[in-house]
Amino acid sequence: MANLKELRGRIKSVASIAQITRAMEMVASMKMRKVQGKAQSFHPYTEEIKSMIARIAGRVQSEADLPLFRARAVQTTAFFVLTSDRGLCGSYNSNIMLELRRQVTAIKELDPNRKFKFYVYGRKGYAWLTRRGYEVERFFVEPPLDKANFEAAKLVGQALVDAWQSGAVDEVRIFYSRFQSMIKFIPTSLPFLPIATLPVTVAGAVQGKQAPKLELDFMLEPDASTVMNRLLPRFLETVVFDAMLQALASEHASRRMAMKTATDAAVRMHKQIKKVYNRARQENITKELLDIIGGASAVE
Amino acid sequence: MASELHLRVVTPDRTVVDRKVAAVSFRGIDGGYGILPLHAPLLTAIAHAGAVRITETDGKQAVMFASEGFAQMQNNVLTLVCEAGEMVTEIDLPRVKAAEAKAREKLANLDKLSEEFIKNEASLRRALMRELLASKNSGAGSLR
Repeated sequence: MANLKELRGRIKSVASIAQITRAMEMVASMKMRKVQGKAQSFHPYTEEIKSMIARIAGRVQSEADLPLFRARAVQTTAFFVLTSDRGLCGSYNSNIMLELRRQVTAIKELDPNRKFKFYVYGRKGYAWLTRRGYEVERFFVEPPLDKANFEAAKLVGQALVDAWQSGAVDEVRIFYSRFQSMIKFIPTSLPFLPIATLPVTVAGAVQGKQAPKLELDFMLEPDASTVMNRLLPRFLETVVFDAMLQALASEHASRRMAMKTATDAAVRMHKQIKKVYNRARQENITKELLDIIGGASAVE
Repeated sequence: MASELHLRVVTPDRTVVDRKVAAVSFRGIDGGYGILPLHAPLLTAIAHAGAVRITETDGKQAVMFASEGFAQMQNNVLTLVCEAGEMVTEIDLPRVKAAEAKAREKLANLDKLSEEFIKNEASLRRALMRELLASKNSGAGSLR
């Protein structure tokens, strides 16, 4: 009898776990849709900034002084790591952090004197780094990553550019999960500063775009380098924001997947225990029946 | 010749305007710009906070707020890429007032040469500009 009672309890708890994970799955997919919508409405802005850079690039090179492009000998590498604030999202965070560790060791092997600085968004990444004895230079909490507003990107971009310009770090990389598809997220390391190392280099931007023919002869006011030096920080902000959106989309998709697996497992388990429970119950009934029949026949 | 140009105003959050208009004027970092259809190709930076005045194709006037960004004229398309921008009718006055108060309060305690000061001054300027535009708009409806 005790066994039956125990089983009943387990059935109940498994069922409620399934309910919770199912709810979390739905919440995650809704949040993901939201992030995707945000990414979509953000897209034109990035495109415009990029096309302006492409347009202005040809005019700048000869006459301007662009500090953000100047590479120098690298002694300190800064990583800006994007992780989630909360767990229960499968291997999302550990994938990023393991890949980060791999890179750090790889760089260390090449250059034992290299120093590292970490800038982190997301509590999980912060906990991971501090637990392993890495020093975190700056941990961003406000505004929460979940909100994903452009202010956050501005803040981060500013901090990274400042660190780079002051000479505290000589190279900045962004580390985040690129959102490939609903089930695929690739830990990605994106060179951020100096700008020459960005995949969208100026030349690349010019070639890569099959834009409607650019009118190359245009007025630039007040002059190319002023506009360019204003444009570049904006561009870097868009890069940061894009990384944030990708990371968020990956996080929610990853959580959705993890929760779906959990729900499926819980449902399967529920079925199994129910079967065991029913068998035990039937057995009990049969036993009681036998007892009654045995008793009745003894009276006769 | 064409009597209209295409205006696009793009911010990180959304595309605010994307339609044909008759004329646009805005403030660049080095002075005011008035853009008419078929204006020569142009690329410039927009002042920290300013008004963008739009003359619609039917002659009506519309005003919008735009903060720090860039303007590009190309193929008869004027693109304004701003960090924030909204039509005057969309300005949320209580929120702007709150922002103004906050900026003023912060400014009072800051060193005038610090970077913080400059940042807050800019946000104060944005708040004031929004306020100005909104109050003008809520009046008789005429802007000039």
